[in-house]
Amino acid sequence: MSLSMQKARDWTGIRGFPNATQNKLHELLEKLKYDKVNTLTILVMGKGGVGKSSTVNSLLGERVTYVSAFQSEGLRPMIFPRVLAGFTLNVIDTPGLVEGGYVNEQSLDTIKRFLLDKTIDVLLYVDRFDSYRVDNLDRQIIKAITDTFGKKIWKRSVIGLTHAQLSPPDGLSYDDFLARRSETLMKVIRSGATIKNREIQDYDIPIALIENSGRCTTNDDLEKVLPNGICWIPNMMKTITEVISNGSKAIYVDQKLIDGPDPNLRGKIFIPYILAFQYFFVVKYIKGSIMGDIKKEKKPLWQLRDGF
Amino acid sequence: MAFCQQFLLGSPSSVYVHPRLDRTRRLHNEKTASSSSSSTSIIISASVSPAPSPSENGKSKNIFSVRRDSTKTVFLPILSAVSGLLLPFVGGGSGDGSSGGGGWFNFGGSGGGGGGGGSGSRPCLSYAIASEEERSTWDNHGLPAKVPIALSKLSGLKRYKVSEILFFDRNRKVTVEGTEDSFFEMVSIRPGGIYTKALLQKEVETLATCGMFEKVDLVANAKPDGTIGVTVSFVESTWQSANSFRCINVGLLPQSKPLEMDPDMTDKELMAYYGALESDYEKRINRSRSCLLPNTVYKEIVTMLGEEGKVSARLLQGIRDRVQKWYQDEGYACAQVVNFGNLNTSEVVCEVVEGDITELAIQFQDKLGNIVEGNTDLSVVRRELPPQLCKGHVFNIEAGKQALRNINSLALFSNIEVNPKPDEKNEGGIIVEIKLKELEQKSAEVSTEWGIVPGRNGRPTLASIQPGGTISFEHRNIAGLNRSIHGSVNSSNLLNPQDDLTFKLEYVHPYIDGVSNPKNRTFRTNVFNSRKLSPVFTGGPGVDEVPAIWIDRAGFKANITEAFTRQSKFTYGLVCEEITTRDETSCICKNGSRALPSGGLSFDGPPTSLSGTGVDRMAFLQSNITRDNTQFVNGTIVGARDSFQLDQGLGIGSKLPFFNRHQLSMTRFIQLKDIEEGGKAAPPVLVLHGRYGGCVGDLPSYDAFTLGGPYSVRGYNMGELGACRNILELAAELRVPVRNIDTYAFVEHGTDLGSSKDVKGNPTEFFRRVGHGSSYGAGVKLGLVRAEYAIDHNAGTGAVFFRFGERF
Repeated sequence: MSLSMQKARDWTGIRGFPNATQNKLHELLEKLKYDKVNTLTILVMGKGGVGKSSTVNSLLGERVTYVSAFQSEGLRPMIFPRVLAGFTLNVIDTPGLVEGGYVNEQSLDTIKRFLLDKTIDVLLYVDRFDSYRVDNLDRQIIKAITDTFGKKIWKRSVIGLTHAQLSPPDGLSYDDFLARRSETLMKVIRSGATIKNREIQDYDIPIALIENSGRCTTNDDLEKVLPNGICWIPNMMKTITEVISNGSKAIYVDQKLIDGPDPNLRGKIFIPYILAFQYFFVVKYIKGSIMGDIKKEKKPLWQLRDGF
Repeated sequence: MAFCQQFLLGSPSSVYVHPRLDRTRRLHNEKTASSSSSSTSIIISASVSPAPSPSENGKSKNIFSVRRDSTKTVFLPILSAVSGLLLPFVGGGSGDGSSGGGGWFNFGGSGGGGGGGGSGSRPCLSYAIASEEERSTWDNHGLPAKVPIALSKLSGLKRYKVSEILFFDRNRKVTVEGTEDSFFEMVSIRPGGIYTKALLQKEVETLATCGMFEKVDLVANAKPDGTIGVTVSFVESTWQSANSFRCINVGLLPQSKPLEMDPDMTDKELMAYYGALESDYEKRINRSRSCLLPNTVYKEIVTMLGEEGKVSARLLQGIRDRVQKWYQDEGYACAQVVNFGNLNTSEVVCEVVEGDITELAIQFQDKLGNIVEGNTDLSVVRRELPPQLCKGHVFNIEAGKQALRNINSLALFSNIEVNPKPDEKNEGGIIVEIKLKELEQKSAEVSTEWGIVPGRNGRPTLASIQPGGTISFEHRNIAGLNRSIHGSVNSSNLLNPQDDLTFKLEYVHPYIDGVSNPKNRTFRTNVFNSRKLSPVFTGGPGVDEVPAIWIDRAGFKANITEAFTRQSKFTYGLVCEEITTRDETSCICKNGSRALPSGGLSFDGPPTSLSGTGVDRMAFLQSNITRDNTQFVNGTIVGARDSFQLDQGLGIGSKLPFFNRHQLSMTRFIQLKDIEEGGKAAPPVLVLHGRYGGCVGDLPSYDAFTLGGPYSVRGYNMGELGACRNILELAAELRVPVRNIDTYAFVEHGTDLGSSKDVKGNPTEFFRRVGHGSSYGAGVKLGLVRAEYAIDHNAGTGAVFFRFGERF
């Protein structure tokens, strides 16, 4: 774990961004500082191969994790703290959550333990923009995340969709495709996190589009821009800061959260009442029906016709 | 002919019905007896029937019969002295002394008429002997064929073979083939029998005195083959018509002393004599108890009386048959119509000996059948007897059968007999005799076996050959109160018994509230150990084999069972046990494991024990109440069965386990069609079943509820659907007999109610199980084996399963 724990360094990578982006980021950080937020911890999670590490690289403007197209990802989570003018940005990269078609609880377990005593401000759940369908596995992942960190984490999360520079199929407009893709994904998240219909308002999970490719189009200010004209890096940071200030609480990972609520303790104090209920209602009821059976029992005539 | 006339004239018209009357009844009894004897060595006294045939009457043991061959017999013919005409006649022997229009009627036992009689008192017996001795030789009648011969003209020296019997009713002028006439049973002559003139004459005499006939005589017809045919020509007795009927139980009435009749009485004295008789009879009727006969039969008989007009002998025969049939049908095997009184009045009185029990005797026999003093406390047997079998009740064969079943369920006796016996000291009474052969009190058994396990290439290796065996002992019926100790030790490898030694030692103490207390509570305590494969650690579909976890339990239990009925009971007690979880190599293991895709094993699965060490100790209260009113309707189970089981942790043991684990299951067997009970066809039945289980508090994984399996959701393996804290199972099954083969179709669903995550380590998810599932299918029952095709609804695939026993 010591390897993955890095000392807070100055955020030099920000200088690699185009000026316009830098300005926007500075603005956002100033705003956060104004709100008395001095640290921001972003947890990046998702299936393997969707571009988590690349996103981390893009976000920090540094090549912090080694990404190659065919190599499987790192096996343990890594935290990258960066300091800029008294503000600390922590980005946590995690291994993929899927293995062999199932949710890999082991890696989830490692992530949990890694996060012990840390506060997660924002969960960046990463998936690909250009996949067209969702399946049960997606639901399982959402469920696993929910079971680990609690349902509340979805109040503090942003969906990041990578490979956002695409031309939608079937002549759909980009915005239509975005709407459809986010809708299907939202459905899965709602079902996986058991967000009920009336809670949708409380769990309004924003979507941020991501394009990590070096061939991403740039605008006049050399900012990376998406087909819908949005500069995604500042836009994503903006979405993140909005989530932070939406009034929900950051998730603090303590031992209790890792262990989950102990189901063996739940309801224990009610046991005497349960026992009393069982005795007075269930046992007595069954006893009563036995007595009823005895009374109702059809006796053969010879038993009724007694010999005096 | 002339002789006959004379004979008739001289003979009294007072009467005695031939004992052979009872022949049909007797056969009937035999039938009941054979059907009642069960396949084990228990006989509900097959002996419940009297002698099979009249000829053997004298020799056979007459266990059931109220009648005996002794001369001091039984039912004294009673008079109904009505309307001065009627004639007193008391006892067969003094028959000659009476005269006049006979008014009574006796169906007494063999020799019944023989109060003081000589040879005449036991006619049937003497005939029988005669016919037996002379079976082989007979004489040709030596007369021209087709000539009617009066009985008196027959030679006294010849032995005639009777080849045919005809009845000629002089009133109706019809001749009937012997066997088809209802009077046939009155006659002791049988076609094919050999009779002398004396015997035939005696027969006529008997017939004449039986009260059925006003006139009767025999005419012989010479046949061409040297045999003779016998024609009984008769005029039936008739009495004044009656419009009411009364049936009384004269079973235990003391015999009324016959009044001496002086032949020199004056008319006045005669009148007084009749008056006395009449009032005597009146008193007798009043003292008698009313019969069990129900109103419906009464009404039937009154209708019979109304239809006939005059009361005739045949009508009385019919009434007797009807009454006796009712008693037979209802199981009153000892009941018998013995007499009709009050003839020639408007009320016919039917006297019945119902078979009142005067004594209940319980005897123990040794292996040779000698009566011995038993070890068993009599009250243990007595509490199993239906009250209807006790003194003062009328003997009913069903009560006898029930006693037999109840005593048999004690499992203390190798042979049980329930015999009704006539009471020698108490005329008309029945002694119910229960004969018991006790089982050996102590028994021990050793059985051994060899175990061979195929080795690597399929061949068994020498090392795999293991001697195994079981040693068990039992001490039954301690102190004669059905207490018992039973112990057994079993190992499949006697060379290394520490590997898998299972033992059990149990002590059972029934009747803790006292043997005479109707409350039936049994105390049981046992020391046990067991080893079972845990279905909690089972993989879901598509998961490679999950390393097995064995759950070893050792401890002791003490509980009290209160039986409300034979099937419904309430058990409560304490369990203290140590649970050890082991892996396949018998090492204690703390966590479940599963194979990783890389081929390795991950040992970070759900904890196997509550303490986390692989060894738990705990004490808890366990109680179970079961209500079961199911019964068999033509071999198919119908009724309701509910059961509630509760394990209440006490906070005693490793990690202070405190929990409330409960299960409620309800099953209904609904008969869908009304059918005649006792028939062969079983009714179609709908079975509805629901089971809820839950646990609040500490729940070690071995106590989690598992879903899937032949007794949970069919079509899945044991535990294939999950292991959870709360469980709900619903099932419906339709059972339809098709040509005597039981077929069924079922639908089942089981769900963890989302509670799999509430089991520590979530074994359902860890082993990639769904947590819920449905199945449906159909099957047939082939004896004990169920063959069924079940479709697993999760995967959508089906498979054929063979299972033993019932699902519900």
